[in-house]
Amino acid sequence: MKHLTLGTALVAALATPAMAEDITVGFAIAKSGWMEAYDTPAATAAKIRIDEINAAGGLLGNQINWVESDTRTDRAEAAKAGLDLVDQGAQMLVVSCDYDFGAPSALVAEGEGMNSFFLCAEDVKAGIQGVGPNAFSSSVLAPVQGATMAEWSYSKREARKAYVLEDTFIEYNKGICTGFNWMFPRLEGAEIVGRDTFKNDDASIASQITRIKELAEEPDVIMLCSVMPGAAAAVRQIRAAGINSLILNGSAVDGSYWLDATPDLSGFVVPVQGSIYGDDPRPEVEAFNAAYEKATGARPASQYAYPGYVLIDLWAKAVERAGTLEGAAVTAELEKMQDEPTAFGPRSFSGELHHQNTALMQIIEITGGKPARVDEWRISEPVPMDVLIAK
Amino acid sequence: MTLQLLFDALSLGGIYAIAALGIALIFGVMKLVNFAHGQFIAFAVFALIVPSTDAVAVMGLGAAPALVLVPAILAVGAGLAVASEYLVFRPLRNASPVALMVASFALGVVIQNGLLVAYGGRPKAISLWPELGKPVALLGAEVPMLQIIVIVSVLVVLALLAVMLKRSRIGLEMRAAAEDFGMARLLGVRANAVIAGAFALSGALAATVALVLVAQTGVADVRMGGQIMLVAFIATVVGGMGSLPGAVAAGFALGAASVALQAALPIEARPFRDAFLYGLVILVLLLRPQGLFAAASAKPRV
Amino acid sequence: MTEHQARKLASLTTPLLLIALLAVFVLLVGAFGDRSLGRMAAETLIRVTLVVGFWIFVGNSGVVSFGHAAFACVGAYVSAWVTLKPEMKTLLLTGLPDWLAQAEWHVLPAAVAAGAVAAVLALVTGAAILRLSGIAASIATFAFLAMVNTIWANWTPVTGGTSSVVGLARYVSPWVGLGWAAAAIVVAAVYATSASGLALRATREDEVAASASGIDRYRHRLAAYTVSAFFCGVGGALMGHFIGVINPDGFYLSLTFLMLAMLVMGGIGSLSGAVVGVLVVSIAVEGLVRLEKGVTLGATEIALPAGSQEILIGLAMILVLIFRPAGLLAGRDLSLPAAWVAGRAKTTK
Repeated sequence: MKHLTLGTALVAALATPAMAEDITVGFAIAKSGWMEAYDTPAATAAKIRIDEINAAGGLLGNQINWVESDTRTDRAEAAKAGLDLVDQGAQMLVVSCDYDFGAPSALVAEGEGMNSFFLCAEDVKAGIQGVGPNAFSSSVLAPVQGATMAEWSYSKREARKAYVLEDTFIEYNKGICTGFNWMFPRLEGAEIVGRDTFKNDDASIASQITRIKELAEEPDVIMLCSVMPGAAAAVRQIRAAGINSLILNGSAVDGSYWLDATPDLSGFVVPVQGSIYGDDPRPEVEAFNAAYEKATGARPASQYAYPGYVLIDLWAKAVERAGTLEGAAVTAELEKMQDEPTAFGPRSFSGELHHQNTALMQIIEITGGKPARVDEWRISEPVPMDVLIAK
Repeated sequence: MTLQLLFDALSLGGIYAIAALGIALIFGVMKLVNFAHGQFIAFAVFALIVPSTDAVAVMGLGAAPALVLVPAILAVGAGLAVASEYLVFRPLRNASPVALMVASFALGVVIQNGLLVAYGGRPKAISLWPELGKPVALLGAEVPMLQIIVIVSVLVVLALLAVMLKRSRIGLEMRAAAEDFGMARLLGVRANAVIAGAFALSGALAATVALVLVAQTGVADVRMGGQIMLVAFIATVVGGMGSLPGAVAAGFALGAASVALQAALPIEARPFRDAFLYGLVILVLLLRPQGLFAAASAKPRV
Repeated sequence: MTEHQARKLASLTTPLLLIALLAVFVLLVGAFGDRSLGRMAAETLIRVTLVVGFWIFVGNSGVVSFGHAAFACVGAYVSAWVTLKPEMKTLLLTGLPDWLAQAEWHVLPAAVAAGAVAAVLALVTGAAILRLSGIAASIATFAFLAMVNTIWANWTPVTGGTSSVVGLARYVSPWVGLGWAAAAIVVAAVYATSASGLALRATREDEVAASASGIDRYRHRLAAYTVSAFFCGVGGALMGHFIGVINPDGFYLSLTFLMLAMLVMGGIGSLSGAVVGVLVVSIAVEGLVRLEKGVTLGATEIALPAGSQEILIGLAMILVLIFRPAGLLAGRDLSLPAAWVAGRAKTTK
């Protein structure tokens, strides 16, 4: 909470007083409830980009202002927050990180013909296929993360036998597994030797672990499709049972804050959009980490701050090119973007897809309880649409 | 293989049994289905760490040696439960069971959101006794040390409780109260002491579940405890409302059924595990509406 | 006119008064509120539909049900299945049978269908569950809710699984909500005064005496359960078309407890209690949310800390229960005094 207040105060101090010509961006995000921990970092990053644009002369010659409204981690409140922001003159809506909680506000924007950006949704429905033609997300689709793990571990760690452990709690988890299940068996000589499911709040996954231990030989990798807190609990129990396979996961478990759950953890890999650990080869990423620390007093706790920065960056470019804030015109410009460079790697949108179906991802490996960037990887072909949709 | 499954079933069932006992104790003395029990568990978990919304958790009480930590956390759980009894449930003692239940739910909302404000919404990692995370060979099965500790501590807690209920005066009074509260009062059972005692015990049991959970999973989350509370609640009813041995037996049975279903169901059906589990519960209830071990008071007298 | 007739006539004014109360609420919000307040009014009226439906069973039978959120869930998805655009369904809900995937109904028959499917489900499941009594029945309804939730969250080709279904036409204005709330209130009042309703309330008051008088408790409970599920199904459909996005998670424990809390706060014993409970809780929550956002009073701006609304509403609920354990209305109904209704009541007495 300390960081939130500091960040807000700083950003508020930087924002210039509203003028008639100002551009207004609305943030329909959770400021209370459990989503708050995910929305605040990404929203802070978005505001950092807004301040940079303002400092560089603004957008279409105008300063960008922002207003926000609390979704309270509640779907009905999210719809109200969206309306509230439209009434306050918002011309584009930035909505809650998660597809489920952001969609009600994004639908309001859609109804007004405005653009909406999810802070970090990784479900294809947070775009044309669900919310509507003017909704976007700058994050990397969950199946891409799973496919990246499959191809990277196959190429770099000789993974041939994989075990898939899926947490059925939220759609994101299923998306990770979908991507892995699509990519891994396509690779020469690779095989998924077993699968199982669990629930994030299961008090124990002992019987799932027993099933892994019954395999003739330990799998090379375990694809764990899960999020906190279930993911940390699963890792602790897997290691406690003496299973030493390389464990793969999605971006959602990036960060070192949870590593105390399994002291001295080794052989745990996640794909991320940029490294928070100060070892990203791209100087822009570290420059952002420093800016974030300056604004909030702490470095980002996970990679989920980055999509917030990227979305404002892309949207502002599209607005400059379109010369207007009008939703359909900006959408048309966004859809023209092919490998548009950003601080966190190239991004593309098209008339079919408002998400990233392939992306250059940094590979973070945890060794002896210390996370570090070890590699980068871009999947050899984009995840096809029918895999993204028919989950 | 079967031995391993038995250990799995015992370690999951043990957690459910302790939680069910905590709920059955309170139900026995004041017909309250305490929906805040899950939040009691979460509260005891968070008592291990220093309140802060930072991502990295700093151990507070959790850094203390086990000899200090265990009694302290049990006392935190008991203290919270007794305070709830005094502030919320004592003034409501003559309210209907439904009103009591809704009040306990409201209390749960207050505790959960209090934790959310104090600790933030991001799950936290807690490294409690990491040396337990090593497998040991036992009777031909390779069992995580943690699982053995869980099973042993569950059995110890149950044994201690049984002795206390059987031998001490307050234990006798509690059993009498669970059997027939009105009659027990007429025979000189001290209502306030028994109810406060039941809450203290129940809170301590919630704290036990918290410790076992943290040792097992290594995480703290404001929403944790909720799922266990619901399973425990079901176990209490299936065991026979008000019957303490029934609650324990049904807790173990539900854990075992869950593990067995996970092991036996084909992969396509495994996500539906809980649907099968709850279907089984309905079936058991239809066959034995008063529960497996019905307390004498469960049947309304005419 | 006898006193009994006068009372009976007076009790008929209850639904009319309640509907008038809700209509005044909608008019006031429409006249003085912003758009966000209009949303709150619509949401409140949907909750009235849900809670009044819930009351038809819980209030009359005295059995606490934890299963009614499942009927709302089923209702919401039924309405989505029949109203969503066929292109959307063939893309995202691939497991729907062809006739359903091609269906493109008007929203009104869709809401009725939502209620009807929920009612049929209640009739079938209730036939087993309601053989149980007291707390065992409550737990069985809870197990039913958990089953529906697990199935809905994982039956991905048909329900979309844990991923929200979007694209529901957002047509629910306060007036649409008022229409359905009024319908629920009228049906609830009619049921409560029907022979079945009276018989069921007799079993609530004294099970043994009722059964000794030849009342078949099971049959009346099943009837109430079915009617009750109808309005919960409709309420769920309205909720889906209100937010535009549905997810099994939105129809699980928090909705169950919200419905229960509103009912108990207002007073489980009367229809007016159900309606007043919804109004009071909804208005209190909205007030606190606005306070949290900050209110300017003269020169000073007052704002509650983020997240305090949930804590305060919880504390308020506990206080209300301590001071009025039977709820705000304590089992009474709003009605015009019998003397007014009867006109010359005094002279005929």
